[in-house]
Amino acid sequence: MDQQSNKEPVKITITLPTNAYFMSGIRDFTLSMIRNMTKFSDQWAYRFQSVVDELCNNAIEHGSSPNHEIKVIFINYPNESIEIIVEDSGTGKNKIKAENLQKLVAERSKPGYAFNEIRGRGLAKIVSAWTDELKFVDLPTGGIQTRIKKSLNTPMPDMQVSGAVQQDPTHLVLT
Amino acid sequence: MAQIIITTEDIVSGNPDKKLKLLKFSGQLDETNVDEKAKGIYDIIGGVPQGLFLILDFEKLEYMNSKSIGYLTDWYTKLSEKKGGILIANARPNILDILQVVGLTQLIKCVGTVEEAKLAIMQ
Repeated sequence: MDQQSNKEPVKITITLPTNAYFMSGIRDFTLSMIRNMTKFSDQWAYRFQSVVDELCNNAIEHGSSPNHEIKVIFINYPNESIEIIVEDSGTGKNKIKAENLQKLVAERSKPGYAFNEIRGRGLAKIVSAWTDELKFVDLPTGGIQTRIKKSLNTPMPDMQVSGAVQQDPTHLVLT
Repeated sequence: MAQIIITTEDIVSGNPDKKLKLLKFSGQLDETNVDEKAKGIYDIIGGVPQGLFLILDFEKLEYMNSKSIGYLTDWYTKLSEKKGGILIANARPNILDILQVVGLTQLIKCVGTVEEAKLAIMQ
C-alpha cells in the first residue's frame, strides 16, 4: 500500500472495547501501519507501537469502566507527520480534567522526577519523549481526548540502541 | 491477549555470597499479563535472603510496556537492598530503546550476552 504519492491525509478510526485483551492486535496494527503507510523508520514504528499502547491503556484503566469503548484515530499526513488521537469514554472511577492531567504529566516529565510507584511512566517518560505534541482535551461526554503528533522532519536524533548501551558511561557496574 | 513465557534456571556462581538465576523471557509483557508474571518474580526475590543476582535474558522478549518497566525498577531496588542486582542480556533494539527513554539503562546494566552478564556479576 503506497500512500506517499497521495497528499491527502489518511484517517483510520478504530473503536475498541475497554479491555486490554485487544491491545496486542492494536500494537500489531500500529507497527504495520507505520511501516507501510509512512516514511518513519522502523525504530519509530516500534516507538509509535509503545505510544499507542500507553495511550490506550490509560484510556481503558483511568478513563473508562468495563463494557464501554475507547476510540483510536490515526491520521497520516503523507511525508509530513502522524497524528494519533485516543478518546476514553469518561466512565472511569477517577475523574480528572484535561488541564490537571496536563499539569500532572508536565510534573512527572521533569528531569529527576522520582517515580515511587509501578505506574506513571507511560505518558510522562515514553509518550512525552517520543512525540512533538501531547495535548489533552475535555470531551463533552466527560471523557478526555489525548492527541499526539510527530513530524517526520523534527530534528530529534534516533537513539543509537544497537550495541551502544554497553558503552554508556552512566551505567552502574554491579559488583 | 499477549503471550509471555518466563523460564528460570539456577546458575552456579562459584561464590557463596552470590546466587545467580537466569530468567528467559519469550513473548510480550503487557497490561494483560505483567501483574501475574510479576508475582512469580517477587516470589523468587523473596526466596533468597541475600546476594541474589537475576540475569534477565530478553533475546525473545518482543515488547514491554511502562508497567513492566515499573516492575523492573522495583525488582532492582529490592535486590539492591539485599546486596544483589539485575542485569539484562540480549535485549532487542526496541526493548533497549524503551529502557533508555525511561532512564533505566542508567540504573541496570545491559549487556550483549548471558555470558557477559555472568562475568559482570562475578567480577
